Amino acid sequence: MNKEEILSKVTKAFVTVLEHENFQLLEETTANDVDGWESITHMMIITEIEKTFDIKFKLMDLMNMDNIGDLLNTIESEL
Amino acid sequence: MEYIKKIAQSIEKHPDHNVLCIKGKLYTYHDFAIEVSKIRSAIASVTKETEKLIGLVTNDDIYTYASIIALWLEGKAYVPVNPEVPVERNHTVFKLTGTTIILDSSDQSIYDNYTIIATKDIPEVAIDLEPKNAISSDLAYILFTSGTTGLPKGVPITFANVQGLVDAIDAEPDFNLIASDRCLQMFELTFDFSVVTYLFPLLSGSCMYTIPKGAIKYFYIFKLINEEKLTVLTMVPSIINYLRPYFSEIHAPDVRYCSFGGGALHSDIAKEWSDCLPNCKIFNYYGPTEFTVYSGFYPYHKDTHQKAYNGIIAIGTPQKNTSYIVVNENNEEVAIEETGELCLAGPQITPGYWKNPEKNKQSFFNRTEDGVEVRYYKTGDLCIKDNDGDFLYVGRADFQVKIRGYRVELAEIEFHAKSKSEKKVNIVALDITNSLGNAELGLAIESDEFDTTLIFDHMKTMMPSYMIPMHVRFIKEFPHSINGKINRKELKKHFNNIVA
Repeated sequence: MNKEEILSKVTKAFVTVLEHENFQLLEETTANDVDGWESITHMMIITEIEKTFDIKFKLMDLMNMDNIGDLLNTIESEL
Repeated sequence: MEYIKKIAQSIEKHPDHNVLCIKGKLYTYHDFAIEVSKIRSAIASVTKETEKLIGLVTNDDIYTYASIIALWLEGKAYVPVNPEVPVERNHTVFKLTGTTIILDSSDQSIYDNYTIIATKDIPEVAIDLEPKNAISSDLAYILFTSGTTGLPKGVPITFANVQGLVDAIDAEPDFNLIASDRCLQMFELTFDFSVVTYLFPLLSGSCMYTIPKGAIKYFYIFKLINEEKLTVLTMVPSIINYLRPYFSEIHAPDVRYCSFGGGALHSDIAKEWSDCLPNCKIFNYYGPTEFTVYSGFYPYHKDTHQKAYNGIIAIGTPQKNTSYIVVNENNEEVAIEETGELCLAGPQITPGYWKNPEKNKQSFFNRTEDGVEVRYYKTGDLCIKDNDGDFLYVGRADFQVKIRGYRVELAEIEFHAKSKSEKKVNIVALDITNSLGNAELGLAIESDEFDTTLIFDHMKTMMPSYMIPMHVRFIKEFPHSINGKINRKELKKHFNNIVA
């Protein structure tokens, strides 16, 4: 799976959880840039992504995840 | 005031110790003493003796913490406002309290029509931590919680109330912070739980580790536990609900104490969490803002103390000088093992809601005990006192819910949602439990689907983000109970398919 495919699936997970599409995910996008992306929805997004890709994140990875770029890299390394 | 004197002594006694770790940067008690002295000198020169309530913008920096202590040394109260909350709400808080002076460490203060003390830019002065004689009935702080009428509700806490809290915790032999402790401070300073997470570290010369605004809290907390080897954790239970899928990766032998409060602690997760902290004492604290944070606790232990009711860990017994009674609707004490409303009396009880005689009439009552009038606060929490004298938490008596530890009146959300709705339809706010066991807010609208952007834009200008519903459902006709009331239980079923 290439980065674009990963990003499109990640975007879908965000839409499912946040129930809106008013955002564009770029490598440098953080929780501050997306309406509704905060502590409570973050975990739901993570769970949704784990389901989508059939992977399980490590707490060590999650604790250092600061933006979408970090998220995509971690998914890629898990696949 | 004894406790303010003790804070000053502790600051002087530990100049080389760290007091705060903020975004990875450490500050010593000496640094703290300098900032406190600067800020109090500015307060003294700007404010009149009679001006007692001073606004405080709660940024995540040393100036904000130093401001609290500076105000106390000057015998004044802080009126905190969160910079992330809609400014309209913060103006309301200042208006209700008559606040005209604000301590603000922001680069550029947005509060134009007030006297601003820019706490970052005060010239150096000699260190002076000598407290003025605070009047015990004067206020130490005033916090605002969600109110049913759309206006936030003020809870004033006096210096004597805080002294009562310090006396009670000091009397507790099983909880003693030491100067080498590293303590989690995860709370926003407008949230009353924060009082214990800065007050007790300051009194013992230990260090607080804050969570940067905007960070994903539970992951940052784990990072601090893991990398900074925190020894004292004070948290709301929802944090461990989030971390639960990763418990197998958490092993934190350095943690000595873990205190929970601000929400129901469930017994299954408490046991699993306690396995992650092999050398830790766990306290399940109880206490409303109206009773100065803590009123008592249950000492949880996965093998010896796991008393629970419906899976919720007991709240135990009242702390020193506090008394608990469980009453019926006529404020009469009910029998042991019977459910009723928990009421609290003692030195930590607030003088009453800020300028709200009507609400005070509902929430406080006097009772004669051994010939003495004792004033009780009605918590709205349903409890049972068992045969061992432990108190068990049963649930809420009203429509107040806890969202991530914050108290939310569902009526306040409904009020703001309806006020901007063009269609005059039924709108009900509901607390729903997601699959992680955390409460979230849903909004049920009795109508065909329509665009809710205006409603949500309005709510976002009136309420903090944790009060904004995350899910909306349109329902053609609300279900009703036999007596004609909207059946909230049935309505909640429309939110069953939420992702978590």
